[in-house]
Amino acid sequence: MIDINEKISALYDGELKDSEIDDLIKIINEDKDLQKKLSFYNLIEFASNYNIKETEHINTKKIRIKDFLFNKIWFSNIITAAATVLLTLTVTNNNDFSRLDENIDSSNKITSAINSIEAQNIIKRSEEYLTDHIMRVLNDPSYMNSQENVDLRNVGFNYKNIGTNSYSKGNENVQLRIENNDFGLKKVRYWKHGNKMIYLIPIKGERLVTLYGNISISSALNIAESLNN
Amino acid sequence: MKKYSNNIDFQLIQKAKNGNHGAFKILMNKYYPRVYASLFSFTKSREDSEDLAQQTFLKVWQQLDSFRGDSAFFTWIYRIAINLAKNYFSSSGFKKQKVNTSIEDTELDISSFDDIESIIIHSESLENIKNFINTLPETLKTSFVLRENDGKSYEEIANITNTPIGTVRSRIFRAREMVEEFINEQIINND
Repeated sequence: MIDINEKISALYDGELKDSEIDDLIKIINEDKDLQKKLSFYNLIEFASNYNIKETEHINTKKIRIKDFLFNKIWFSNIITAAATVLLTLTVTNNNDFSRLDENIDSSNKITSAINSIEAQNIIKRSEEYLTDHIMRVLNDPSYMNSQENVDLRNVGFNYKNIGTNSYSKGNENVQLRIENNDFGLKKVRYWKHGNKMIYLIPIKGERLVTLYGNISISSALNIAESLNN
Repeated sequence: MKKYSNNIDFQLIQKAKNGNHGAFKILMNKYYPRVYASLFSFTKSREDSEDLAQQTFLKVWQQLDSFRGDSAFFTWIYRIAINLAKNYFSSSGFKKQKVNTSIEDTELDISSFDDIESIIIHSESLENIKNFINTLPETLKTSFVLRENDGKSYEEIANITNTPIGTVRSRIFRAREMVEEFINEQIINND
């Protein structure tokens, strides 16, 4: 006969038959010790995937997030400056547009749409999603651990199958995550975090690969290129 | 989260959506420690992390019907927790919410365990547990690591280790029992 605790272990792993689940739910809900066992298993999983360096990052997170925001503001200022130059050019060339039969009304509508609250909200929301994504990369070990491994041997990275779901090449170690490019990124974005880097690289098929580790930009781009093939 | 774990989550979520509070409670027990740990990394306050964790599960329960399964269940919970944690930093919003939404008003009984909360926020304890896992007998450790770190199913582990599925299930369970015993004897009782 299988021990009830062993059944809970199998339930935690999602390895129980549906017919066994209902009875077990009743039993667990009537017994505080069994409820605690599930939480214990979650603690054990957390400890098993625990990396001391992750904690150091968490401790320095506020400063890093500040850096991240500072960089973002700096970047935004550049964009604003560029936009100002473009707008200036647009305004000063309106006469030229009219000479070339450009539809000024359409141009104004586009400018108005770009500057609208709705458009700005969309930009703000996508930045929030991006911030969420980066924070999860840093704080949730399972977030970068949630996918099947891919073959990166053609760019020299070997899968490390014990302990962490990561790839290594010499001194370089990296974890990767591939998903739909819901952030709408068109270009590579990257951040430095401690001695690690986070790269977000759009790849073919409207997908985005997130790379987190102590790897160079050239290695990151090689991996992305490999995923494109 | 692991894909096989996601299957059971999906089953439990369906049961919870059909009004089975017990199924939801299982999900809470399963994820509470990690939600708490994530929140603590934001707030650095045990009391606030506990409040936020409770608010998180209350919201999860209230919004369960809107969970479509596009992401892993834990990812969804995590997002809710992080959004609550962000509000925490604009503290007036959080305090208002604390007053307006009481867990006692609902039928949910959210269990938390002080000793588990204490361990999960202490890096030294987590390191000790991890070190102990490395000392497990090789046969237990292999199955355990393939499951916990690599997210392999019992069937995959059985194929890799060339053992019956029942043996894999038993080895993983025994490994967990040994780790739990270590935590109770060496960490909780030593505090």
